[in-house]
Amino acid sequence: MKQIDIAEQPWLGLRRTVGITADGIRYRLFRAAVTVAVIAVAVAFLMNILGESLIKRAVARNTRERITQMRLIYDWSARLTNPGSLESVLSELAANEPGQDRYREMQQMAGLDDARMAAFHQEARLARRYLGFFASLDYAKRRDAIHTAEGMAIFERLRSASGMEQFRTAMSHIKSVRFVTSYEDLDAFLARGPELLATAQAVLDGRRRAIAQVGRTLRQEPVLQALVRSEGDLGQVIREAGFVFPADTVAPVVAEQAQRLLDVLHLEETMDSEKCRQLLAQQGNVMPADVNVVMMWKYLDNPRFAARYLERMRESGVVVNSLTPERLVDLAKARDENAALLQAERLTMDAGKGFMGLGERLVWLLFVSMLVCGIGICNAMLMTVTERFTEIATLKCLGALDGFIMLMFVLESAILGIVGGCVGAILGALIALGRMLAAFGTNFVSAVPVTELLVGMVASVAMGMLLAAIAAVLPSYQAARLAPMEAMRIE
Amino acid sequence: MDAKADQKTSAATATAAPAAKNGERQSERVIIRTVGLKKSYLMKDVVTEALRGVDVEILTGEFISVMGPSGSGKSTFFNMIGALDSPTTGRVFIDEVDVAQLTAEELAYLRCHKIGYIFQSYNLIKYMTALENVTTPMAFGGVMPDEARERGMDLLDVVGLKERWHHRPIEMSGGQQQRVAIARGLANRPSVLLCDEPTGNLDLRTGQEILDILKRLNTDQNVTIICATHDHRMMNICDRLMWIRDGQIERLARRDEVHIEVGSIGGQTE
Ligand SMILES: Nc1ncnc2c1ncn2[C@@H]1O[C@H](COP(=O)(O)OP(=O)(O)OP(=O)(O)O)[C@@H](O)[C@H]1O
Ligand SMILES: [Mg+2]
Repeated sequence: MKQIDIAEQPWLGLRRTVGITADGIRYRLFRAAVTVAVIAVAVAFLMNILGESLIKRAVARNTRERITQMRLIYDWSARLTNPGSLESVLSELAANEPGQDRYREMQQMAGLDDARMAAFHQEARLARRYLGFFASLDYAKRRDAIHTAEGMAIFERLRSASGMEQFRTAMSHIKSVRFVTSYEDLDAFLARGPELLATAQAVLDGRRRAIAQVGRTLRQEPVLQALVRSEGDLGQVIREAGFVFPADTVAPVVAEQAQRLLDVLHLEETMDSEKCRQLLAQQGNVMPADVNVVMMWKYLDNPRFAARYLERMRESGVVVNSLTPERLVDLAKARDENAALLQAERLTMDAGKGFMGLGERLVWLLFVSMLVCGIGICNAMLMTVTERFTEIATLKCLGALDGFIMLMFVLESAILGIVGGCVGAILGALIALGRMLAAFGTNFVSAVPVTELLVGMVASVAMGMLLAAIAAVLPSYQAARLAPMEAMRIE
Repeated sequence: MDAKADQKTSAATATAAPAAKNGERQSERVIIRTVGLKKSYLMKDVVTEALRGVDVEILTGEFISVMGPSGSGKSTFFNMIGALDSPTTGRVFIDEVDVAQLTAEELAYLRCHKIGYIFQSYNLIKYMTALENVTTPMAFGGVMPDEARERGMDLLDVVGLKERWHHRPIEMSGGQQQRVAIARGLANRPSVLLCDEPTGNLDLRTGQEILDILKRLNTDQNVTIICATHDHRMMNICDRLMWIRDGQIERLARRDEVHIEVGSIGGQTE
């Protein structure tokens, strides 16, 4: 004899649930495909924004490094002639990490031990922080706080009692800005000021001595000319004078760039000859008087044109030194590359700021895209649930727990979320790559941050999955709670 | 756990040996009792009173036929006593437990193990095969997949659809779908079977087979069967007949009483 003894219903295992859910998806493949497409588009948008900003940030980093490298020749011809100012010494030091070339060089030139150098470094960084703070103030606030003082003069002004007084009162009126450290710290920093300046002065003096020493060896020879020999005797001279001028990394680059710069200057001078002007005028279909340097460079990366150009130069009696057609092509290519670098630098000016290096506007865009993503998925899930009320009711009649019904929908949604997320992430990343390729050219392929992009893709997929799963919770909860026949009635 | 043990010890429907059963009941326990059951549907300000006060007691092991014209409230009555919908007023007791007092989990257990439903409109799950439809209630009841498969095939065999176990509902005729629905209703060996027109779409022969199955379940396993029907053959096998009209019980009588009056009831013949 059967008895009704009501016990609690056991849970259906996760595997069975997944099985039933997967069957359901397979049966409604078209509907699922539409949902997947919605999710994919949303995630692609998300991933595209994320990917582009990641790539942009990486390109910016790469560009900065390469531009520093590209400017080594300008950097060194300046350093060998100009000691700079107290302020430039401090900002240079603040931009360097302990142990880097410039750091070691300053330590040598000022004759500081490790501890004092480290303290000097700290002070320089603190000074940069304060100066950065004043630079960030808008004009009116700045005027209130420090009048018109700039750079090191700001510290000079603050050291005076009246200047400090004015600064403190101004700051107490400005509610929106917080000072970077406590005022006690500022006072202490200002008190240490003379010592800091003395150290910086010692560096400057050291540089002056070193410049003088190199200058004596050079006699009247132009620095650029001399730097061609960086790898040989001149490099030795520079090092002996006290500069840190690594023979294996910096010197060869400087030598090569010096040679290139000389060649470029020489080449650009050659345009004055009648024959070369005529050639360029023919090529560019203009009057010889309208020929300019840009035209020359435009055609020079063609080897045949380069050869003819050299020939004309020789014909018109211009000294061509060691120039060969290959060299001309090289020069033109290097010029293009540098132009691309500068272009990239301009394009990536705003990279690296804000949340995850996204920039303010992008964070907002990201937020909106997530919202769109969420709403799209919500809508898709809502439709999926409502069109299946009969099924829900039937399953409940057969003894399904409310939790099972919910789990089924959340799982379905999550599965669609993963599939859509993967498609979207790949799509978004590809679009980002394509767009960046179009903007920066092939010059930066090696700079693409593969790992970061992969992490971003995984995050986007997780995002799509989570949003989808969350979006399914509410409608399925409502549906699961209804009495079976109530659900059956809703159509 | 009790439930599983129970399921294992009871024999499969199809293979149960016929047991002696005379007109007398071994037990007179009430299994379903309704008190002042009313249900009204509200649709756009129009109130339809589908049930207007039904008081009935159904005993364990009874076979009851419910008859009544279309729209009289049969399906509504089934939904109420099957704990599928909540009454507007009144109460339903299943085994002396007030259904309104049960938690969601307990209701699920009740629907899963104790009551089998055969719906008028079948309500098969569209994306499942016949076998999966039959085994789904078993899965909810915690039966292991292998065992469920075996039992599901046995049940499909009983309704004559063993060869079509892998067909989906759209690939089957109405009668075949109805038979799958019947097999599904029997899945967890319920103590109460609620059938809403189980033979409505079947030809005479298959209909008769289904009736035989129901009768066997009733006699051999003492399953309480409540059956809405227009099929007169049902009158031959049921214990009591219940007529519903306009949401009220018009008449409730034992079969032998009815048979005596057969000639006088609206000229109905068998
Ligand atoms: N969901 C609903 N909303 C509104 N009214 C309903 C609803 N379901 C049933 N009704 C009404 O309740 C009454 C009883 O319906 P019910 O389905 O119980 O009839 P039935 O006896 O099963 O009929 P049939 O023999 O045709 O299946 C009918 O008048 C019907 O119009
Ligand atoms: Mg009905």
